[in-house]
Amino acid sequence: MLDHVRSPGTWWTGAERVEIAAEARGATRCALCRERRKSLSPGAVQGRHDGPHALAESVIDAVHRIRSDPARLSRRWFDGVIAGGLEVGRYVELVSVTSLIAGLDYFARALGVEPLPLPPPRPGEPSRHRPGGAKECGAWVPMIDPADAAGAEADLYGGGAFVPNIVRALSLVPDEVRVMRRSSDAHYVPLAQIPDPTYHRALARPQMELVATRVSALNQCFY
Amino acid sequence: MAGETVDLAAVTETAAGDAGVEHGGRLLAFTDAAMGEDDALLDRERRALCAVLSPEAFIDACALVAAFNVVDRIADATGIPLDPMLHAASGDVRAELGLARFGSAANTPGAG
Repeated sequence: MLDHVRSPGTWWTGAERVEIAAEARGATRCALCRERRKSLSPGAVQGRHDGPHALAESVIDAVHRIRSDPARLSRRWFDGVIAGGLEVGRYVELVSVTSLIAGLDYFARALGVEPLPLPPPRPGEPSRHRPGGAKECGAWVPMIDPADAAGAEADLYGGGAFVPNIVRALSLVPDEVRVMRRSSDAHYVPLAQIPDPTYHRALARPQMELVATRVSALNQCFY
Repeated sequence: MAGETVDLAAVTETAAGDAGVEHGGRLLAFTDAAMGEDDALLDRERRALCAVLSPEAFIDACALVAAFNVVDRIADATGIPLDPMLHAASGDVRAELGLARFGSAANTPGAG
């Protein structure tokens, strides 16, 4: 996972992706984020995020908001981020890196070990691959419909009959779907087995769903 | 899971028991601690959970905390609506849990 984070992505370089990861990690200690979480409206608290920073302030703000206060992200906030000049493909990739680091850090915290140090970035240029078939599907970001997953994206959803929106969410940047699926397969349930209530790991499925649902309830995530 | 009765209220409220799930109370307490900021509490809950689960099952619990912190952020930051099939099938559960009060419910038309 960290090797993916440190490698050149679709729109960000490896160095920029490691910076995004560092900001995602730093958001948990950021004084501005802490004040905003306590505020009735996160937009009511102005200031600068704890630094120093190598990325644009608008990028840093998006990473910190996604990491520290995801329940209060809104369409209006997203539209403002994009209107501020962040291209939507770059935004989607940023969402992926930020979320993956949040998962790795929660895993370490739960286990009782130190978070893995962020690795040095790999050199190279972003691929700038823009997939065909991405379109508006009711989310804030364009997504690839399973019926349109062809060519270089033919593998994207594994050919399953049901592809939930959470799997499609990052499809504007297909490599991020692939890594999210690897992460989900390792930490939860492979996509094809999600509807099968008999599938389980060392925990029984009801135990798994109890933990999963509690996390989402604490994150106030409707999805 | 068919045929089993789970106390749904335990998901969104402080549970006094196991919510109808083996070691449910311990799992919920550990999850709450892992999501919180009290390191001493998390250490206690980790030891308590490890006392009743196999090492593999404990790691599964940690992995689930990780996985859904990823999923929730991706869902909320991309504004995806709940899939129509899941939306149609989960009305009773959503109502019982009061999920429409979450801000991200606005991303799903008719969620209220």
